[in-house]
Amino acid sequence: MNTPEVHINAVKLAKTVKLTEGSLTILHDISLTINRGETVAIVGASGSGKSTLLSLLAGLDLPSHGEVYLAGRPLHTLSEDERAAVRAADVGFVFQSFLLLPSLTALENITLPAELAGIKDARSRGLALLEQVGLSARADFFPAQLSGGEQQRVAIARAFITRPAVLFADEPSANLDAATGQKIEDLLFTLNAEQGTTLVLVTHNNDLAQRCQRQYRMQAGRFIDSDLKGLANVG
Amino acid sequence: MWASIAWRLFWRELSRGELWVIAFALFLAVGSVVSLSGITEGVKSALMQRSAQFIAADKVLRSSQPFEQRIVDKAEQLQLKTAQQMQFDSMLFAGDNLRLATIKVVSSSYPLRGELVLKRGNVITATEAATLTPGQLFLEARLFDLLGVAVGDEIELGMSRLQVGGVIVNEPDAPLSVFGGAPRVIMHLDDVAATEIVQPGSRIGYRYLFAGSTENLQQFESELTPQLSVHQRWQKMDRESAIGSALQRAERFLLLAGLLGIVLAACAAAVAASRYSQRHTQAVAVIKALGATTAQIRLIYGSHLLLVVLFSLLCGLIAGQVAIGAVQWGIQLYLPDYRAEFSMRPLWLGSLTCMICALLFAARPMWRLAATPAIEVLKRPAAKFTLDTLQWLTGAAAIWALMWLFSGELVLSIGLFLLCAGFAAILMASAAVLVRLAKPMAAGQSSARKLALANLKRRLWANSFQLITFSLAIFLALLLYFLRAELIGQWQRQIPVGAPNQFLVNITESQRSVLDSFAAEHQLELGQYYPVVRGRLTAINDEQLQQEATKDDRSQQRVGVGRELNLTWLSQLPDNNQLLSGSWFSRDAKAQVSVEAEIAERLEVKLGDSLVFSIGGQMVTAKVSSIRKVDWNSLQPNFYMILSPDLLADFPATYINAFYLSAERTALLNQLARLLPTVTVISVDNIIAQVNDIIAQVTIALSFILLIICIAAALVLVAQVQATLEQREQELAILRTLGARYAFLRNALLLEFALLGAMAGGFATLLAEVMLLTVQQRVFELPFSPHYNLWWMGPVLGIVMVTLLGWWQLKRLLRIPGAQLMRKVLQG
Repeated sequence: MNTPEVHINAVKLAKTVKLTEGSLTILHDISLTINRGETVAIVGASGSGKSTLLSLLAGLDLPSHGEVYLAGRPLHTLSEDERAAVRAADVGFVFQSFLLLPSLTALENITLPAELAGIKDARSRGLALLEQVGLSARADFFPAQLSGGEQQRVAIARAFITRPAVLFADEPSANLDAATGQKIEDLLFTLNAEQGTTLVLVTHNNDLAQRCQRQYRMQAGRFIDSDLKGLANVG
Repeated sequence: MWASIAWRLFWRELSRGELWVIAFALFLAVGSVVSLSGITEGVKSALMQRSAQFIAADKVLRSSQPFEQRIVDKAEQLQLKTAQQMQFDSMLFAGDNLRLATIKVVSSSYPLRGELVLKRGNVITATEAATLTPGQLFLEARLFDLLGVAVGDEIELGMSRLQVGGVIVNEPDAPLSVFGGAPRVIMHLDDVAATEIVQPGSRIGYRYLFAGSTENLQQFESELTPQLSVHQRWQKMDRESAIGSALQRAERFLLLAGLLGIVLAACAAAVAASRYSQRHTQAVAVIKALGATTAQIRLIYGSHLLLVVLFSLLCGLIAGQVAIGAVQWGIQLYLPDYRAEFSMRPLWLGSLTCMICALLFAARPMWRLAATPAIEVLKRPAAKFTLDTLQWLTGAAAIWALMWLFSGELVLSIGLFLLCAGFAAILMASAAVLVRLAKPMAAGQSSARKLALANLKRRLWANSFQLITFSLAIFLALLLYFLRAELIGQWQRQIPVGAPNQFLVNITESQRSVLDSFAAEHQLELGQYYPVVRGRLTAINDEQLQQEATKDDRSQQRVGVGRELNLTWLSQLPDNNQLLSGSWFSRDAKAQVSVEAEIAERLEVKLGDSLVFSIGGQMVTAKVSSIRKVDWNSLQPNFYMILSPDLLADFPATYINAFYLSAERTALLNQLARLLPTVTVISVDNIIAQVNDIIAQVTIALSFILLIICIAAALVLVAQVQATLEQREQELAILRTLGARYAFLRNALLLEFALLGAMAGGFATLLAEVMLLTVQQRVFELPFSPHYNLWWMGPVLGIVMVTLLGWWQLKRLLRIPGAQLMRKVLQG
């Protein structure tokens, strides 16, 4: 049996923010390991620290303490720009509020990460992804002209265009009605399966979390009751 | 790669309209700098050219020593046109008649500016034109009678006999201030040697006349000045015409207005750039999350700024140049021989202004924008983008740099800058007090009013910069409006309608009654008779004066005035004179003299000194009892020396008088000339007309500047309201969702802006009044008088301007259906 390859490894992560009234610790002592190709959900109520954890795992932010490795690269030691380079090469995002650039068309939003990464065939990849998410006819529409579901589909296509090794999704269906949300989730898992991407999904939705291979539950900045299957390789 | 993203984003941002406010602000800054400095130069050069006609040249070098060829050669090397002129008093003989005359000797190229009009005939209404040729003399009209000569007769001057060529109709540089001079004669320079009048020691004034481009003249002046001797000095322009000080004030005013306009435009650019950055914080965070580096973001947004700057710069330069062209065209309507000069200065000044505005006002927010951390992508709403200390500092530095650059005056720029900073501080403190007061006021008000007050209070604190800029904008508009009125009023007071325009000189005692009855017969209102006696200042405190400067510069002997003075005696201080020291003659004053300040300084005369005058061979001694400042720009008889009545009353005097004659009655002057042939009539109609023309031109320039200031002020308001648009959208969405009606929201909005406008207008009024009273007393030397109109205009202007602009920008938001607005807000 092949030993699964560790893709994301966090060791004793902590995040403290300074407030005027003192400091607040949002994450306490978080350690986790995610293998390549795995789908993992981080579940918790609002304010439990799951989005903060996602920001550290994706290299959007730096931990106050602890170490975080993405494909073996120590994100906690890298500068903002070095982390940006890692993201450009390996990471895709889907956000709760879509976060499309309002001044770019659907197609341009999708090709943006590919262009930033210097990928030559960005346009053809973008068109193919538009096709896959069923929005070929909307290529030249601006975000304001699209419905919420359509915008999130564009955001998913954008997330996959660089064929990232890992995809971070932050409450991808929270801003959508149940039926649309379901479709978006299906699309996400389908594309994920097709590209063999590692998926880290942050949600408060247990049903959505159940679709992942593993779940980490969070409360007040700590893991509780996590599915320990993947922790064998913590080192 | 980044270039294609940047280019695409740029075009989309342009169509979204956000970059336009920055572009327009920069355009306005460049356009106003270019047009203001160009127009100032244009008006200045027009005035200089017009003044040049009063001295028949662009520059005049006076000398008491014979012409030096090296000076002429040097001027010609610099492509300057030159002419020479000499002036001396001498006797003219015609048969048995003899008369003292002032002889003006000119070279063929005279005059370089203005027009010398000579006619073949003995009256100024003669029609046949004549030109000055060697061998001929042209006489002032009254000399024909005094000498009993006609055209073609011969007159002896020194050792020469010269033929009478005709009459002098217009002499561009005829003296204006010296009333009662001897009759004037013009002759050619080639004839002067033969008269043998020019001998060592003879008192002759030499003048070199120069004309050419401003640049060449400046070079010439700066190269020649160090080589000048004590006998040579440049003629000052401002004494020659009534426009010198008007020009100076207008220049100051244009400068001040221009500076303030730029400051406003720069503020608008800063606000717009901050708003732009605020709106793009999340977009930058997204792009960064997607893998862009800070450097890539800087390239993208930096290129946006660069494109906007280049575009605004180009448009501003073109618009400014068009405005300059229009004004030059306008000047040409007034001054047909005006030579418009193209100058690079406004263009580079405009470019530099644009760069400073862009770099120090707009670049900083953009730079900070690029530094937005990727983590912002997960924060909602995005972090508030406020002005940081560095931006305050760079902005302040930029404002000062612009002031310095534009005025070229270090002290003025520092002073004005500190003043602006002081005003801002006062406004900030006042805003704080008002906001505190607003809270108790809100209690017990209707809900729309409550909402308006609540909004005002919150937003004032969130951005007190807004109230400051509103107030400053309104303050500047008010200040300029009132200053302009003050300035124009002052010029008009200088030459009131119906001011005397015909001066009568050389009236004898016996002619007074003839003149009085002539005036009564024709309903002419004669002014005061000023007695005049010619005399020479010979000694000060027993020290004999040299009548000419000598070559020996080390001579301790004081140099006198060098010519006969018109002395008068008056019991009352003339209106346009101001005592600087000492006191005016008391009723029983004996042997006193009041001396004009400039000549007192030149002669080093102090209060209590004894002056000895030689009058008709008699010596008269007077003690200096006062020093006076004289307004040489006033078209009134002015005197260097006014003696106490007891001294001169026994000397035979002639008189000066003046009256106003409307243009259609000028034929009366011929009658008067026949009735009193020895009286000289000096008409200042031309000068008054010219001064009025200039006032009209400068008024147009001032109005143009006021317009620019108002546009800049409005732009600041627009930029400010735009900056709060996002927050307002959110609030409106919530209020609409909660069921607020259109009328309620509209009323709250209108009230909020009206209150804000009233506050800003009130502050502005207060500041403007303080500033105006200071200017009134310090600059215009007028008595303290409050500007009542200001007190209603300020607040009304504030309310109207702010409410209209606010409403104009926000009414669109009110019309958006609640659901759509909510969606817009949720989608960012």
